[in-house]
Amino acid sequence: MAGDWAISARGVKKSFGRLRVLDNLNVDIPFGVTYCLLGPNGSGKTTFIRAIVRLLHLDGGEMSVLGRPVSEVGEIYSKIGYMTQHKALYPDLTVQENMEFYAGLYGISKQKREERIEELLQMVDLNEHRSRLAGMLSGGMYQRLSLACTLIHEPQLLLLDEPTVGVDPRLRQIFWEYFKRLTGEGKTVLITTHLMDEAEKCQVVGYMRAGRMAAEGSPEEILRLAGLKPRLLLWLAEPERDAALLRGQGYEIKVDGGVVMLSLESHAQIKEILAQVSPLDMRLVEPKLEEAFLRLSEAA
Amino acid sequence: MRRPNLGRVGVVALRVIRQLKRDRRTIGLIVFAPIVLMILFGYALSGDMSGVALGLVDDGGHAALRAHLVSIKDFDILYLGSESDAEKLISEGKLDGAVLLQPEGVRVLLDASSLQISGTIAAAVQAGMSREGASRAGTEIPIITRYIFGYDLKMMDTVGPAILGLVVFFFTFINAAIAFIRERSQGTLEKFMVSPLSQVEIVSGYVLGFSLFTLLQSATTLVVVTFGFGVPLRGSALTALAVVLLLGAGALVLGSFFSNFARSEFQVVQFIPLIITPQIVLCGIWWPLQSVPEFIRPFSYILPLTYAAHALRAVMLKGAGIGDILYPDLLALGIFFLIFFAAATLMLRREVG
Repeated sequence: MAGDWAISARGVKKSFGRLRVLDNLNVDIPFGVTYCLLGPNGSGKTTFIRAIVRLLHLDGGEMSVLGRPVSEVGEIYSKIGYMTQHKALYPDLTVQENMEFYAGLYGISKQKREERIEELLQMVDLNEHRSRLAGMLSGGMYQRLSLACTLIHEPQLLLLDEPTVGVDPRLRQIFWEYFKRLTGEGKTVLITTHLMDEAEKCQVVGYMRAGRMAAEGSPEEILRLAGLKPRLLLWLAEPERDAALLRGQGYEIKVDGGVVMLSLESHAQIKEILAQVSPLDMRLVEPKLEEAFLRLSEAA
Repeated sequence: MRRPNLGRVGVVALRVIRQLKRDRRTIGLIVFAPIVLMILFGYALSGDMSGVALGLVDDGGHAALRAHLVSIKDFDILYLGSESDAEKLISEGKLDGAVLLQPEGVRVLLDASSLQISGTIAAAVQAGMSREGASRAGTEIPIITRYIFGYDLKMMDTVGPAILGLVVFFFTFINAAIAFIRERSQGTLEKFMVSPLSQVEIVSGYVLGFSLFTLLQSATTLVVVTFGFGVPLRGSALTALAVVLLLGAGALVLGSFFSNFARSEFQVVQFIPLIITPQIVLCGIWWPLQSVPEFIRPFSYILPLTYAAHALRAVMLKGAGIGDILYPDLLALGIFFLIFFAAATLMLRREVG
């Protein structure tokens, strides 16, 4: 049912000339989650977001947004916050004036307006720069102001196309905490990013490839789907002998010089292994989403 | 200073040629704009006129002069009963001039708000009289010339009111086109599309915001034209400003519409020879509409500057009130505005599709 999802897409198709950008795409995004769209350049992420807000018309398939068919999305624009890759700011207006402009567009009352501007500028750490012209801000500050403007009307659904590009790690952390707070309030955040460590912070990750959803799930599920396991590296005095011992118990093992590498089914196995061998040194290597996507891409 | 190196010069030149080669619009402009402009200027400057509305009051005599005037196919002759009829029609702008043939002499009534037309009529009367003179030598026949408007008008006086319109049209068009290009390139337009703001509201907001500056600009230009150059202001300044505001609103929506066909500010500048210059040549500011060749003239009548220039001349030189310029001038400007308002609004949506 369309009403159960913040965004639901079924068999969505879109071509530009002969180039098929969305190819039978199926996605269901629940309410109240942070959903991360990952994928190489040209995989259709931005096109999908533009289709959600009806900035382009679909060639086929069905889509619903906040329980309404996408053809009626114009009537719920006030519930959507859309941040494009272009920052959509006026460089010759000040930080405050840009915020006021967008607050005015959404008809936010004067009293509420000042409150919201204060809160958001605090969050993006621009309060001291209120009277500066947006055009004089650094790239990262400009990006932050753009995000603040997108949030001004407390949207139910946030569509953020690469919102953290050029933002320093400390502020990125703050952004993600803020997104968490929003989803806690029942709001839905759809985000595209190239940064894997950001994807790991999302509840659901969708990996797009050539206009289709190649893999979807929580970060843990994606890792499992790609067949990636945590690995234990052991530095042993007698690697050949210990390797043979562990192999005999069914462990998947590789030996490289003095280092033995084991793939683990679960972290509990570490204890069992250490009961049998005494390594000089050891290290646990957790699988990375990046690796998972590389592997999924190759498989596709 | 480093010595210029021919090799490096060549590298830059090659890059310029490569870029231009891919920019078909600029190549088109370089080749075709001069052709179009030369044709326009060539015809407009040829001095030939047609469709000059001339009243003729025939109280007898001067058969040769009469025959000569009637034979000139550039004149549309209207036969009238009396001098007062002629005067009325000239003051209403329906006649460009009139010739009164009386046994005792010839009277010529002229509207000097277009010096070229009154010059043409005067020259035709002179030529006709000299034929007549040849047939009855000896007696001198007096020609009395009377100006219904502007006996003391100078070139600047007749051009000044129209320049007021031109200045506003030019700047508003360019500024609006650039403003909309920026809305597009900085992503704000896309953001508007995903907000409660409608296309009609976007364009209306622009019209309202720009109007303030149009008003400021036209007020300063009006002051310069009247006080600086002594162009008469016989009608109300407010009426003149109303005309300019309506023209400015038309220029704004036209600029917004054409911004869809430009990708950068550079390309907006290329609109000048294509959109602004033809208006200057064809709107009757420098050369009367009667001197625009007939096959191009219909084009003059769809240009807003034609009507604005006509209305501004009527207000400033003839003291016309708002009721006198309602039809066709204000009506035409209003229709032009509405058509391009609709077009600009629709294009905003189409661009997103």
